[in-house]
Amino acid sequence: MAIYTDKDGRDRVVPDSGYQSNAVVRKSIHLALKERELKAREDLKNGGNEGPDKELTLDDSERVKVLSPGQLVFKRFITNKLAIVGSFILIFMFTFSFIVPLVYPYSQTQIFYKYDNSVIDYAQAKERTDYSIYMVDAGENIHYSVKNKLTATINDMKSKGLEELSLEDPDGISYRIDREDDYIYSLYKVSSELYASMNGTAKYATYSVVGKKLEYEEESEPVDGFENALQAAIKDKAKEFTAGGMTFTLEQVKKTYNVYLTSDAFTYYGGEYDAALEALARNVEKSEVIESGNDKYLVTNNKGAITVNKLMGEEKVALLSTYVFDSYDSSFKISDEFMLLAINAVTEDNKFEKDGKSYTVKAEGEERLIYEEGNSDEPVAAFSTMVIRRYNGEDSLEFAYKEKTRSIIEEMTANNQRTATFTWPIAQVDADGLYTYDENGDVIKDDRTVTITDKNGSFVMSVEQVVYLIDTFSRPTKEHWAGTDGDGMDVFARMMYGGRVSLMVAFVVVILETILGIIMGGIAGYFGGWVDNLIMRMVDIFYCIPSMPILIILGAMFDALKLRPIVRITWLMVILGILGWSGVARLVRGQILSLREQEFMVAAEAIGLKNRKRIFKHLIPNVMPQLIVTATSGLGGTIIMESTLSFLGLGVKHPLASWGTMINSVSTAEAMKAYTYIWVPVGLLICLTVIAFNFVGDGLRDAFDPKMKR
Amino acid sequence: MAKFIVKRLGLCLLIFFFVTFIIYVLEYCLPTSYVEKTALELSMRPGNTKSAQQWIDELNAQYGMDQGIIKGYAIWLSNSARGNYGDSWAQTMPVTALFNKCIWYSFVMGAIAFVIQTAIAIPLGVAAARKQYSIMDYSVTVIALVGISMPTFFVATVLKLIFSVKLGWFELVGMQGRNYATLDAAGRFWDLAHHLVLPIMTLIIIGIGGLMRYTRTNMLEVLNSDYVRTARAKGLPEKKVISHHAFRNTLIPLVTILGGSLPGLFSGALITETLFGIRGIGYYAYNSMVVGDIPFTMFYLAFIAILTLLGNLISDILYAVVDPRVRIN
Repeated sequence: MAIYTDKDGRDRVVPDSGYQSNAVVRKSIHLALKERELKAREDLKNGGNEGPDKELTLDDSERVKVLSPGQLVFKRFITNKLAIVGSFILIFMFTFSFIVPLVYPYSQTQIFYKYDNSVIDYAQAKERTDYSIYMVDAGENIHYSVKNKLTATINDMKSKGLEELSLEDPDGISYRIDREDDYIYSLYKVSSELYASMNGTAKYATYSVVGKKLEYEEESEPVDGFENALQAAIKDKAKEFTAGGMTFTLEQVKKTYNVYLTSDAFTYYGGEYDAALEALARNVEKSEVIESGNDKYLVTNNKGAITVNKLMGEEKVALLSTYVFDSYDSSFKISDEFMLLAINAVTEDNKFEKDGKSYTVKAEGEERLIYEEGNSDEPVAAFSTMVIRRYNGEDSLEFAYKEKTRSIIEEMTANNQRTATFTWPIAQVDADGLYTYDENGDVIKDDRTVTITDKNGSFVMSVEQVVYLIDTFSRPTKEHWAGTDGDGMDVFARMMYGGRVSLMVAFVVVILETILGIIMGGIAGYFGGWVDNLIMRMVDIFYCIPSMPILIILGAMFDALKLRPIVRITWLMVILGILGWSGVARLVRGQILSLREQEFMVAAEAIGLKNRKRIFKHLIPNVMPQLIVTATSGLGGTIIMESTLSFLGLGVKHPLASWGTMINSVSTAEAMKAYTYIWVPVGLLICLTVIAFNFVGDGLRDAFDPKMKR
Repeated sequence: MAKFIVKRLGLCLLIFFFVTFIIYVLEYCLPTSYVEKTALELSMRPGNTKSAQQWIDELNAQYGMDQGIIKGYAIWLSNSARGNYGDSWAQTMPVTALFNKCIWYSFVMGAIAFVIQTAIAIPLGVAAARKQYSIMDYSVTVIALVGISMPTFFVATVLKLIFSVKLGWFELVGMQGRNYATLDAAGRFWDLAHHLVLPIMTLIIIGIGGLMRYTRTNMLEVLNSDYVRTARAKGLPEKKVISHHAFRNTLIPLVTILGGSLPGLFSGALITETLFGIRGIGYYAYNSMVVGDIPFTMFYLAFIAILTLLGNLISDILYAVVDPRVRIN
């Protein structure tokens, strides 16, 4: 019970919870009666304006207007200015989040595009430096190590001004590169024949101790006294022995001995003894072509074993060229053979035949055009060292365009220009990012100015083109009232849907924790004793669990498990509810403990009401006012919690909008400065909503609990 | 009194066991794949000398993660009772060393913010209550509510925008200036102080509303009480009524709540420290939670639980000490 002073300065006894208080009701009746009495006196004093003939009756029109407790609370609530402001903000927020999206044309995940006249890199022209291999005979095999170093070797030749250079592959086959002109080189494969060799040591025989079996190698020439000398050496465990003026070495393999003949004599395969050649060959350190007499020999020294190959002759196996082919008409297919013939023609008489047709190659500047015989107006193909491709590497440019750019680049090089421009019809894209076609099915093209820029030998062609791109970070416009975000989504729409998520999460969480709290607190408060003790210790424990860190840990775990956004929200709400019920339970228990002792509960017990009815009909409704106040303030707190988690990237996830996520998307320093029109309104929405909930919560508390204020 | 404290301490201990048990169960129930993946990722960070398997083995030895829940909890409890908390995965140093390194930044920040907000909030709350429904009262109420209603990250971002980006007075993030290495001791102190201004401001703005409201509510209650009316009836000057009779009684709940929040000064500000890059315990805790550094997270959670319990205990004891009317039972 508490003492309460009413307007007239009289003390009134008011029970602790003011809501069901008869005193309040009584007070209003009292005031109303008093006002009526005063009015009647006034009337009497004034001589009775309404006339003395007015009858005093006991009907409805004469009944004293008494406000019900609910009406009283309402009346007190609406006289609180802040509460009214809060209510209006909340009504606005709910309309904004739940009703406006129904009529707003955009959805939260709709991505917007825009047309922009931007300069794009259309194509690129580059001098080709890699040499392609055009095989003369497709069956011929060139070792990969030679293939791989061809370009490097040719560049080496160029820098040294060499006309030809020899190469050798690991198998000992040698090649020769011969310069035809600046862009064409011939590759010759040199055939050779084993002429002579010097092994250093050669296997001579095998001797088996078991059975004393001696086996000579095929080429070995028997020497007198060899067997005796061998046996003596084995007996003496000697490594070396001589027999017949020759030195042998022994190698023991278990019970067998391998006998090697040490010799520095050359073995000739079909050739004649050549003292001059042998002398030269012995001086070769690794590999060298030497001349002896009229012949050339390739000598290889592999750790003392010398091989002499006689070079027999050479054969052209491939043409190496940096030329790139373009056909005038895409229907004209250029085969490898065609390319080979055309390149070969350049080194010869500029004419070649293929499939029964004759072609002529004509040089035009750096470029060479191929004409079919009988048609000297239109070339069928062209080749040059300049590669012209779309910027993405696609070879989809038409012949005429390539011709044009080639001529311009030649001009630029000649005049030492860095940039040049020309006009060319270029296909344009429409609203869907696709090419437009006329009635004949041809792509519609507009004349555009192409700018060629020389970037260190690579010529980049840029063109101003209408491109269709995602409209990111657009400032507020007529279409997008709050602009668009980094994903090209409408910020205004996302604000509304974000509000929906925030409010929904807040309500679900608060309802969940209130239900849990009522159940636990109700049980504790009503039954008391050990049940109360147990539940209150649980409350203590949950009160002590740091909820923010736990939510962050779970958020990081959800991230790692890659949960779907909607599943995340559900979990988030459940966890927030479970972590938050302790406050409500404590409040409900406290209320019930004090209410339990009051007269109306005693009366309820006295008339023999059932437990369930006493709790739900009499106790809970009396706890409601306190609960509503706590829940209203709790809504604000939950919104802060949710938006903080989302801001940290651990709550509601993209593409679902949430106010916190929206602020997070522009959290870098640069974005923060540049996109204030995104994050400031969103932040204000959060603040306003939370403030409104707090205002309303405060207003409700004051209205329910008149002894504090008003 | 001693009996009361002992009883409360016992209760705190009991709650502590349960809270740490729940925290332990939470960490224990993290999917193994997640733990392994995290260990693997963290072991591949530069400067890490241990392999993922070593981390997991250590974790198992430390926390008994491979034992049953109860046994594992017992292992963890006995280890932590001996001050053995293992090595932080993310920072690759002992948890206790990391704690010693970062806690004082948090404490200094918290303490300064606490002193300033108390010094501002209490006089304003009292002033608001003295003239209820005046402009002063309304503005205090609104400011307090706005303070309560603003999310930390929004306050921090707005402050950054105004003071760092627009005015350029403070640095956006971090706690050392570019020329920190070249400064002498005094210069370093001022550099640090300069970097702490915005975070402390954030903490004050966030915390001041609640205290202001609490002061106002309690002051109003006291001003409506009988003894204040009696004092006025005796003809005491209003100044004396307020300062001697009303304010002293308002101090009872205030001291209780402020005393209770003292241990909280050590808990660090998770969001503020992270947003401003202040290397306090909140910063490291947030970092370790996000990357899944289990040892430091466990330590932090247990530490926070102890601080909360300590806060409640201090509150209870202070309540009994300050208000002689409260009988201890």
